[in-house]
Amino acid sequence: MRTLCLKLVPLVAFLIAVGCTLAVQAAPDDAPSLLISRQLATTRQLRIGDLVRLSRDPAAARGRLFRVDGIYEPTPDPMRFAQQRFEARLHLPDLLALSGDGSPGDGADTIDAINVALADPRGAARFARDLSGRVPGAIAQAIDTPDARTSTFVVIERFHFAIAIVSVTGSAVFLLALMVMLVDERRETVGILRLIGFAEHRILLQVVVEGAIITIAGAVFGLLFAVMTESAFNRFFEWRYDTPLVFVRITAGVAAQSMLLALPLGIAASLIASWTFLRRGLMALVRR
Amino acid sequence: MRSIFRVAWLSSVRQPGRTGLGILGVVAVGALLFDMLLLSRGLVLSFRDLLDRIGFDVRVLATDATPLTGPPLERATATAAAIAALPEVEAVLPIRVRDAELAADRTARLQFIGADPQAKPMWTLVDGRDLVDARATDAPLLVNRNLAASARLSIGSTLLLRGVCGEDRDATPPVTFLVTGIAEFPFDDRSATTAAGRLGDLRRLCGDRDEDRADMLLVRSSPRAGSDAAAERIRALLPELHTVTNDEIVLRFSHVEFSYFEQISFVLATVTLFFGFLLITVLLTVSVNQRLGEIAALRAIGLSRLRVMVGVLCESVLVVGAGGVLAIPVGGVLSLWLDGILRALPGIPLSVSFFVFEPHTLVTYAWLLAVAAMGAAIYPMRIVGALPIAATLRREVVS
Repeated sequence: MRTLCLKLVPLVAFLIAVGCTLAVQAAPDDAPSLLISRQLATTRQLRIGDLVRLSRDPAAARGRLFRVDGIYEPTPDPMRFAQQRFEARLHLPDLLALSGDGSPGDGADTIDAINVALADPRGAARFARDLSGRVPGAIAQAIDTPDARTSTFVVIERFHFAIAIVSVTGSAVFLLALMVMLVDERRETVGILRLIGFAEHRILLQVVVEGAIITIAGAVFGLLFAVMTESAFNRFFEWRYDTPLVFVRITAGVAAQSMLLALPLGIAASLIASWTFLRRGLMALVRR
Repeated sequence: MRSIFRVAWLSSVRQPGRTGLGILGVVAVGALLFDMLLLSRGLVLSFRDLLDRIGFDVRVLATDATPLTGPPLERATATAAAIAALPEVEAVLPIRVRDAELAADRTARLQFIGADPQAKPMWTLVDGRDLVDARATDAPLLVNRNLAASARLSIGSTLLLRGVCGEDRDATPPVTFLVTGIAEFPFDDRSATTAAGRLGDLRRLCGDRDEDRADMLLVRSSPRAGSDAAAERIRALLPELHTVTNDEIVLRFSHVEFSYFEQISFVLATVTLFFGFLLITVLLTVSVNQRLGEIAALRAIGLSRLRVMVGVLCESVLVVGAGGVLAIPVGGVLSLWLDGILRALPGIPLSVSFFVFEPHTLVTYAWLLAVAAMGAAIYPMRIVGALPIAATLRREVVS
């Protein structure tokens, strides 16, 4: 379901716990409830039913007691995967009461955003435009509007693509060197084949087919290797950053892209290697 | 040894096409390896340099939250004065950062840095006068180039700003500022619109005339004491606050925020090195296999096993050495391209680079290539070492 973010009034809010002071306490049963992230629970050794005091003040002044009602796994956020998710979720009135000090203009009636679920999600962009026009000072955006988050991943994708170009260039040179040597190794055989009447294009075709077979075998092996190591990569990064995010995923599109790049490169390398070779004279091939 | 190298050289130049392709392959692999080594510590070094250039080596915050995301420091003036009185401290600069918008265009947002004009600023003045040189009656303002361009400001212009400081922002009257200078701010990214003014003017902007808060205190330690000693004294004096040195910030960022690039560079460097190793092994093995008769003949006329084996190693060193040297300028150019791509990331300060050269990188690069060259030569050396002379020569004659 599409939602809209409007910086005005909230339904649910969450509090980044690192911005607050948190202390475990013994207290009455009528304390309001809150949820804490798994990382916070682990680090501070908190369990369901524990009472904690939250305060905006570093010295824990004007704090309020809350009961831990649950522990949740934060939604993985690629923008924050390297950070520990020390978070707590409170009911909005509790959060507003915590953030204010009772004085006028203390922020007790302030929220950051409203999530709106539309009856017809296709009208999100139009609705956002209308709302922005009707409520001056408010910023309404459809959630699929490009922002800093998307541009970050566009840049990272561009970087990985650039690295891939360099890797493919190196691989192409490697392949060319290999094919040159493979063809060169069979110089005399090719010479004899020419002597007994094989046409140049027939030999060329044979080398190209051989190159294609090597390329397909190499590409398939590369894909299998990537698939086999995919989970190892993901497990390492999931362990390293304590996140369920998936870092490497071999999709059908990626596999097809790899094959489409590898095949023409392999065939081109075979063609170049054999073509330069066949240009030599027959006597040179048989070393006479 | 010179003669072994000469033989290796002659063997390599005898087949210039193959050797050239080998070197070209090493250039591609080496350039990528060199870039990954630059990337592995580039962001950390660059960030460290950025922090050092600001001129303050200790930061005091209310909590251990990332700067500007946690609660502000209360009683900032008294706290700053107490810290400034320490003998280990040379200067203290309270900083408060709030959002503001142009009164004429409420969609035009900017970041407003409030600072004590008497202290050494954290920005670099490009044109005009700094806050300290302005008349007391004015509300002086420094703007960055983006803001000057977008709001068509020049020195002497006035700018009406409204603070975006809470739910009362519509009730807060706008404040007129006088642009006294153009400045570069260290943490600006390419699209940032930033302005700096006096702390008192920031309070007026947000309608907090009695507020005495700061987001952080930037502290410059005295050169004799150093940042660690100054931080220790501040921690002892104000244990309820969070005091960090630049070294500690860099360490934290390198372990958390910047670690992705460290990991990705490690993975790519390992793959690249393995690829280079494979390339040289295959090239040398095929080359040696094609010259078995020649090598057997050399052995037959009296060359020792060790000498022919060292010859193969020298060929490997020649190809990897030539490719490795050529890869450095190629890697340098490539790093500029990759750096340009990564610096487009939102929120990355303009003066930060992802690829930073340090002499240590060159040493590591040379070591890794040397290991690859030696490792790649092991298998072909083994072929040469175990070569049966008589049988090989006979096979050559028969063929």
